[in-house]
Amino acid sequence: MSEMTSIKTGKRPEEVSRSPSEWIRQNLFSNIPNTILTIIFGIFTLYAIRGILGFVLSGERRWEAVATNMRLLMAQGYPANQFVRVWFTLGCLMVLTGLSLAIWSGKGRLSVKKISNWVMSTGLGLAVFAALAPISASSRLGWVIAGALLIAGGLGLWQRAKNKTTETLHTIPTVPFSFGFLGILVLSLWVVPFGHYAFTNGELVAETGRTVAMSTKLPFTVMWLLLVGTYCLTNLVRESLPIAQAKACLVGLWLLSPFILNWIVLRDPDFDYGHIVSTDIPLAALFIFVGGGILFMLAKPSLGEIGRLTAIALLIFGVFNWVAAFFGWYPMLQKVRISFVLLALAALIAPNFAADRKTRLKFVTGWAILILISHWLITAVNSPSTLELQGPTYLGGFSLTLFVAILTLLLSFPLGVLLALGRTSSMPIARVLCTGYIESIRGVPLITILFFFSNILPLFLPQGMEIAELAAIVTGYTLFSAAYLAENVRGGLQSVMRGQYEAADAIGLTTSQRTGFIVLPQALRVSIPPLVGQAIGVFKETSLVAIIGAYDILRIANNVVPAQTEFLGVKREGLLLVSVIYFIVAFSMSKYSQRLEERVGLGER
Amino acid sequence: MSTEAANTNRADMIVCENVDKWYGDFQALKDVSATIAEQEVVVVLGPSGSGKSTLIRCINRLEAHQQGTIIVDGVELTNDLRNIEKIRSEVGMVFQQFNLFPHLSVIDNVTLAPKWVRKMPKAAAEKKAEELLEMVGIPEQAEKYPGQLSGGQQQRVAIARALAMEPRIMLFDEPTSALDPEMIKEVLDVMKDLAHGGMTMMVVTHEMGFAREVADRIIFMESGEIVEVGTPEHFFTNPTEDRTKLFLSQIL
Repeated sequence: MSEMTSIKTGKRPEEVSRSPSEWIRQNLFSNIPNTILTIIFGIFTLYAIRGILGFVLSGERRWEAVATNMRLLMAQGYPANQFVRVWFTLGCLMVLTGLSLAIWSGKGRLSVKKISNWVMSTGLGLAVFAALAPISASSRLGWVIAGALLIAGGLGLWQRAKNKTTETLHTIPTVPFSFGFLGILVLSLWVVPFGHYAFTNGELVAETGRTVAMSTKLPFTVMWLLLVGTYCLTNLVRESLPIAQAKACLVGLWLLSPFILNWIVLRDPDFDYGHIVSTDIPLAALFIFVGGGILFMLAKPSLGEIGRLTAIALLIFGVFNWVAAFFGWYPMLQKVRISFVLLALAALIAPNFAADRKTRLKFVTGWAILILISHWLITAVNSPSTLELQGPTYLGGFSLTLFVAILTLLLSFPLGVLLALGRTSSMPIARVLCTGYIESIRGVPLITILFFFSNILPLFLPQGMEIAELAAIVTGYTLFSAAYLAENVRGGLQSVMRGQYEAADAIGLTTSQRTGFIVLPQALRVSIPPLVGQAIGVFKETSLVAIIGAYDILRIANNVVPAQTEFLGVKREGLLLVSVIYFIVAFSMSKYSQRLEERVGLGER
Repeated sequence: MSTEAANTNRADMIVCENVDKWYGDFQALKDVSATIAEQEVVVVLGPSGSGKSTLIRCINRLEAHQQGTIIVDGVELTNDLRNIEKIRSEVGMVFQQFNLFPHLSVIDNVTLAPKWVRKMPKAAAEKKAEELLEMVGIPEQAEKYPGQLSGGQQQRVAIARALAMEPRIMLFDEPTSALDPEMIKEVLDVMKDLAHGGMTMMVVTHEMGFAREVADRIIFMESGEIVEVGTPEHFFTNPTEDRTKLFLSQIL
């Protein structure tokens, strides 16, 4: 009867929430085989945890080797007097994060029950730790008490959440919660005696009873303040901001930030201002005004077929310049060659902006910004760095890992999409070229490509053209990873129904509009799982750059730290730390992709 | 208005002359010739595999014919890309499987082509889209995604999407064949409104009631050939060809 009424009123019956003890009984001890499985697996888990804890806490472990070398592991050999650049970079990212969180107004809310679950799990973890770890009885008691307190706190939260009925009391907003959590972590740097380890004038300083050094806790506190401060300030003025433009600006800044922070801030290029005034600025101006003029003409609505022909002619010319440079037929600056290719690509998409004067001017403005940024970056990459370095690259350790991974992904993604489109296109030349490229790259090991780009490539380049070591690595790795991404995207492209192409054709979209608005969005959505798999692969395989002489975090942990006289042969601690760091990043990417899949599944139901 | 217009001399919107089309060795269209005048509603009937879908898909060049000429609104269909784009923006098409864009909301589905092909400002395109959704009877669904709508609603969105380009001709390729019976009427009603509003329409359908009520002329096809052409009265009451009689005896 009650079911009948609930159907009539259309109200969904309340889900009965189970207490933890009920959950355990229903899921772990529901029947005899399940109970046996739980017990066997439980014993195995406890045994494994005990083994790991024994390893980690053993008196033979020298964790101070990792603690002392933390800066080396994160940013190897970056000159200490310039280290503020590293913090500046991190600070910029914090400001961007704070801005983005406020502008996109993270409305996500965490349920209090989930938080109470986390607290209880942590408490349980501490209790298990106390029971199994080889530690003294007094500290064991301390850990047990801490664990019990956490479990009690979690249970209390859980009970409170159960009694609340309204949504707002059930949940708390995610962003402030995360800020608070990070705040506690930062605060712990000031109060918890993690110990102070450092090399001071080559001497190992190890003061166990202290908190960490000022040079660690102060910058981290500043980072936290920047993040929270930007978020709060932006929230205050959010109402009066043009949100759509702010979002577009932020996306642009995020895409540019790796390039700018890397090559301008961290690398600190030594610009040759005489050359800039005499050559670089006139060149940029020439491309902006003459190129912009050509594009403005090409975007004329009445132009028709001549526009396409001009664009194709430009593309052939742009590609031919690279061939000519390869064989040394005539000299042309690398920057000019890149600009011609960009101009050709812009000319190809020009018909999409063939409308009123305003749209065409917007298009030309976009072109001017593109030229400014690309010329500035090319100049920066090709200027020598002012840093006095020990290693071959100015980046090292985890920062190298991150930068190579992020840049490679950012660059190889559009390239991979283009390759996939080329391979599936109906134009035979594009298809043959893209297929040939993908297959030949996939047939060559990554290491070969990295060797090629760091050692052999400079021999082929025309005289006077420098290619920074890091640029060589990223270029090679990008070309490699693009081939794999292309195959993932191609899988997605094949999943788009024929009817979608027909519908797009029937409403009169051009081929490029059809690709950009209809086919690619659907194809990329389907490709998210393999694309993220590839992204995780790219991140982890950055460790191969060690083979061509760069010092990434793994190489430092495996080769550099164990070679220090103070920590001769101390390897396992560093390797364990490196695996944990790799795991955290890869796992976050995986989690993020799951959320992304949920979000874009919206339209499909 | 429609009857009044039928008496005046109207321009030819679609002219097919001796059109042949092969899929590999299979000839899907055999020497098809037909002319459709402005504001005329023509229903194409025939057993499955008779080439009726192929014929209307040739008219906006979703399929290319190999011989003969097709002239739509004075423009001949050749391999010239510009002609094809011009014709496609004049000809709206509605598919059996709706083919809405699942990643775009209803309003975005409708405004996409006006914004990017007609270069219409966003606000104007959205206003137009709202009017069209009002016309097809689902103004409240604008922000939803196609996957959240019923089949009948999806097909009405598809009609609105085609109309948003302000086409001079509408092609319907079995628009009700994939619908549940109770949703067929809502789609047919929209199509009737369109026909009464003076749209030139070419409809492939199995809905005999619609054909009898709305069509100015009926084209009957079998095995890639046009067997018989005539008014609904002639076709349903007094067909001349044996193949037409056989077909009618099977479905009626």
